Amino acid sequence: MSLIKARNLIYEYIRRDEEGNVEGITRAVDDVSLDVSPGQFIAILGHNGSGKSTLAKHFNALINPEEGTLLVDGLDAREEDNVFDVRQSVGMVFQNPDNQIIGQVVEEDVGFGPENLGIEHDEIWERVISSLKAVNMYDFKDFSPNKLSGGQKQRVSIAGIMAMRPKCIVLDEPTAMLDPIGRKDVLDAISELNKKNNISIILITHNMEEAVLADKIFVMNKGKIEMSGSPREIFSQVDKLRKLRLDVPPATIIAHMLREKGVNIPEDILTREELVEALTKLNNR
Amino acid sequence: MIRDITLGQYYFADSTIHRMDPRTKIIGTFVYIASLFICKNIYVYAIAFAFLMLCIFLCKVPIKYICRGMKAITYILIITMIFNMFFTRGETVLWRWKALVITLEGIRNAAFMASRLIMLVVGCSIMTFTTMPSNLTDGLESVMHPLKYIKVPVHEIAMMMSIALRFIPILMEETDKIMKAQLARGADFENGSIVKRVKNYIPVLVPLFVASFRRANELTLAMESRCYRGGENRTRMKPLKYHKRDAAAYITMFAYLGIIIFLAIYLSPKDSTDAAALAGSINMQ
Repeated sequence: MSLIKARNLIYEYIRRDEEGNVEGITRAVDDVSLDVSPGQFIAILGHNGSGKSTLAKHFNALINPEEGTLLVDGLDAREEDNVFDVRQSVGMVFQNPDNQIIGQVVEEDVGFGPENLGIEHDEIWERVISSLKAVNMYDFKDFSPNKLSGGQKQRVSIAGIMAMRPKCIVLDEPTAMLDPIGRKDVLDAISELNKKNNISIILITHNMEEAVLADKIFVMNKGKIEMSGSPREIFSQVDKLRKLRLDVPPATIIAHMLREKGVNIPEDILTREELVEALTKLNNR
Repeated sequence: MIRDITLGQYYFADSTIHRMDPRTKIIGTFVYIASLFICKNIYVYAIAFAFLMLCIFLCKVPIKYICRGMKAITYILIITMIFNMFFTRGETVLWRWKALVITLEGIRNAAFMASRLIMLVVGCSIMTFTTMPSNLTDGLESVMHPLKYIKVPVHEIAMMMSIALRFIPILMEETDKIMKAQLARGADFENGSIVKRVKNYIPVLVPLFVASFRRANELTLAMESRCYRGGENRTRMKPLKYHKRDAAAYITMFAYLGIIIFLAIYLSPKDSTDAAALAGSINMQ
């Protein structure tokens, strides 16, 4: 059974002028259907304003679709009574690390979710400790969040979600405000949770190198899903991606340009290592 | 500048008072404030002063550090003393120049008010020196809990306080950033009349407010996505617990209050105190 099952979701933003008259309607999410199975790592790609963040907020019942159905772990996300169950099984990490940490000490922030769920305090501590260990932040449990780097704060946020024992974590551009080291730490933490704890990941991003980590990619444009498939299937269509104003991983671009010049290397190269391998093979021949 | 003021900040140390339950300290502070307002007599003042010294000794915060905090109230102190000195009507005139009159009663009043103010501020700051902010908000929530029955939103007030405390350093940093950005654009915060200088701060305040609202909005989403639904059915990660030392503190505290009330009634101000109070007020100066 799929963990998230979305069918024909539609969500509209209504713009109003100062008197409250409708000026225009923007369809942020337009007829989107997708499935996420347990343990799957999904990336949703799209440039700014493609509706990917709006779509992400649906999975957490922060907003409700105007049309279509959305089942999260078998529960209808539109039902008022299911909201907190949905939010518990699908956690959400946002872009700005400063604006999602509530506690004044790291461990208190991680405990915030379980406190809201009404869990006994011995178990809260168990969960806080195991979640902090899972993202390698246990040594910082007594720190003030203000003393941490961006990447560390983001890992604390992930631990805060983990402590609620979710089945799926949605991350809305979690690395956009981080330096390369912080970015790597956060991505490592995400991959590890995905592999070790079998938690589904939905990574919203416009960074292609991050999307490569996923099992399956959805590319969004103007609220619609334009392309879907494995990273190799997606990134082999360089021209189409460029038309959607999206970048392609550098290694893929080089391979693509070499092919255009008549060099015989495979189309589905994603990483630098694969490119090097393909080129050495070519050289040895 | 704001960072120099030690008043109201937490002082890291390991003392009996530091380890006490925040509720004990909050109630203790209230009892102490009440006792200061009962005081009308030099002997009672001496007891209040001794009690304060005992607390300072127990909390292991250096006296120097506490005195530095007093800098913040110097002006209030001076103004209070001047007003009391010149505006108290009395019979024994010591000094007269045109409309200005200093009487013996005035000097006595000024000394009483000043020492009361100092003891009041020191008493309150012992609470903040020895209690972590997060602990303090927990304690306040618990102490104010009975007010819930008269529809005071106790949990919300405590949550607001703790979020405010979390965001103060972030907003200070942001102010600094905006000021530098405006300086780079030629803003001038140092020259001109007071009115002009205040006006020059508008380009700092407007972006700061806009940014705070944006932060607030994002924080709400983050809290909601972590199943926050107010204080109902919420458990505590660090439940407050009374220990033996708290019981001892309560006994001391109420014994102290009892003695003060007894003395205040027994030594009613008319009979015996005028001469003593005069002697005391001169000594205090």
